Amino acid sequence: MMESRPTIRQRIRTEFGRVTKSVMRIGWPQTDKDRAAVMISSIFLHIHPARVSKHALKPSYTLGLGLISAILFGILTLTGLALMLYYVPYPAEAYRSMKDLQFVVTFGVILRNMHRWSAHAMVAVVFFHMCRVFWTGSYKTPREFNWVIGVVLFLLTLLLSFTGYLLPWDQLAFWAITVGTNIAAYAPVVGDQIKFLLLGGHVIGPTTLLRFYVMHCVLLPLAVVMLVSLHIWRVRKDGLSGAIRVDTPVAEKGGAFPASTKTYGLMALTRRPSASVDARDPNDEVFAWPHLLYRELLVTVAVIVALHTVSLLFMAPLESIADPTRTPNPAKAPWYFLGLQELVSHSAFIGGVLVPGLIVLALVALPYLDRGTQGSGRWFAPERRVANTIYTAVVIVAVILTIIGTFFRGPNWGWVWPW
Amino acid sequence: MSTEMRKPGDAPREPARREFFFAGVGALAVATAGFVAATFRFLLPNVLYEPSRRFTIGRPEDFPQGPPTFLPDHRIFVFNGGTEGFYAISSVCTHLGCNVKKGGPGFTCPCHGSQYDENGRVVRGPAPASLPWFELSVTPRAQLLVDQDRIVKPDFRLKV
Ligand code: HEM
Ligand code: FES
Repeated sequence: MMESRPTIRQRIRTEFGRVTKSVMRIGWPQTDKDRAAVMISSIFLHIHPARVSKHALKPSYTLGLGLISAILFGILTLTGLALMLYYVPYPAEAYRSMKDLQFVVTFGVILRNMHRWSAHAMVAVVFFHMCRVFWTGSYKTPREFNWVIGVVLFLLTLLLSFTGYLLPWDQLAFWAITVGTNIAAYAPVVGDQIKFLLLGGHVIGPTTLLRFYVMHCVLLPLAVVMLVSLHIWRVRKDGLSGAIRVDTPVAEKGGAFPASTKTYGLMALTRRPSASVDARDPNDEVFAWPHLLYRELLVTVAVIVALHTVSLLFMAPLESIADPTRTPNPAKAPWYFLGLQELVSHSAFIGGVLVPGLIVLALVALPYLDRGTQGSGRWFAPERRVANTIYTAVVIVAVILTIIGTFFRGPNWGWVWPW
Repeated sequence: MSTEMRKPGDAPREPARREFFFAGVGALAVATAGFVAATFRFLLPNVLYEPSRRFTIGRPEDFPQGPPTFLPDHRIFVFNGGTEGFYAISSVCTHLGCNVKKGGPGFTCPCHGSQYDENGRVVRGPAPASLPWFELSVTPRAQLLVDQDRIVKPDFRLKV
């Protein structure tokens, strides 16, 4: 009998398999060992832990808000990249290119809407994420510094929104940035220099637009990518707050090197932890592949669908071209700054410099002032009543001010009833 | 060189090499700091392609008596007080830079509701300072000249 030679079909399959293997290395994981290995052998998946506690997967704990922030940032990057192909950062041209995107470019209007609504959503979601972290006391040891990174991320999100606001070069853009940059000029001592640096001159003009463009498209997104990576990496290293512990942590010995909080035998290839200092219940943990990835995929798809729906239904505003000689009445900043604008309408220094400065300072100092880990890892733990009450009060005041600024202020910033 | 005693077994000191190393690192650090400072200076433009802050606005008789003339491009109000003379007031709100509008006897700002009297003094609202008055003069060709870098007091009048 002839030695059976592989058919063409089999040979193609083997060859194909060899190529996939060279790319993926692990292939589609079939065993627990592979499920762990696939997570740690990919630079992108490695931002996840190989295993997560079941608790971390509960949507009721995180509400998925950090994840949604990251997804929105991804969508903003992609839609922004597309918009950049048509956008020209020079005053009248900028406005014309927005009109083009709106009326001439196929699907331009959808991409623009997506970008605009994702930006609004990201500000809101990042803020809610911060609230979640506060109300669950998740900024406590060992996560203090990750909270600080979070605060910086929140500020970067606002800055991204603010710099993007000027780019369409319409009336809304021009006057919002006029008001915003003049607030910067109230900063003590260096205020005027900061304004000059931001504007690249004394008045908002071509230099300003170019500066905002570079910040919006390169500088700030880069900073966000780096910090988000660091942020999520630290979440992975610390584990999500509130997971069940079976053991009290062994105190660090001798200070030779910091005790790892999570050390599995053979990098989680076995089912049992061999040397876990901050031991977690192994039965409480599941593999990130597929449990975490599956949920992430689901949320990603849901967010994309929701944004498409909103972008098909609601148009991003575009007013008439910027006219430095004609101030619209009233001239309003973007909604998330209207609380500040309301304060600023009483005193520019208090509303524009003092209050926001103190709030940022308090947020950064918070995890170092509010020490101890009581009540961490649960929603509205009674042990944290004081902290939660203070935070909630500040949030409510901010929300009320924002609502007043948005709906109750009309011409000359006079009081109007929205109905 | 050093006169201190050396015990047998001590590693020979090499002060020259170490000091050279520190000096080198120090020099590099200074150079780097210089580069950083230079880069910061780079951010401040030397030439501003902005409208001049000193400009002519036309002949005195172009401005009627009575209510002021608003020059939107220059963001100023020009007053012709008849025999009293001419004066010019900025239309840029001192609060956050919106254009004030003529309203009632004085000016009101649409952004946060600051009100100024007819001389640009703050009456109400968050504006921290009065609207500045700019010096007016007449050029040899009988044109009114505004100089936004020369602020004058509200008793300024240009007689022509
Ligand atoms: C660009 C914005 C941000 C992104 C993309 C982001 C992303 C994430 C993700 C994916 C997580 C994992 C848990 C979860 O989904 O909730 C997380 C956790 C965390 N975030 Fe953020 N975050 C952002 C902003 C912030 C802000 C503004 C703060 C607070 C000021 C913050 C503080 C924290 C802390 C302390 C944790 C750990 C929580 C825990 O272990 O329970 N983050 N973040
Ligand atoms: S800018 Fe005029 S009141 Fe604020």
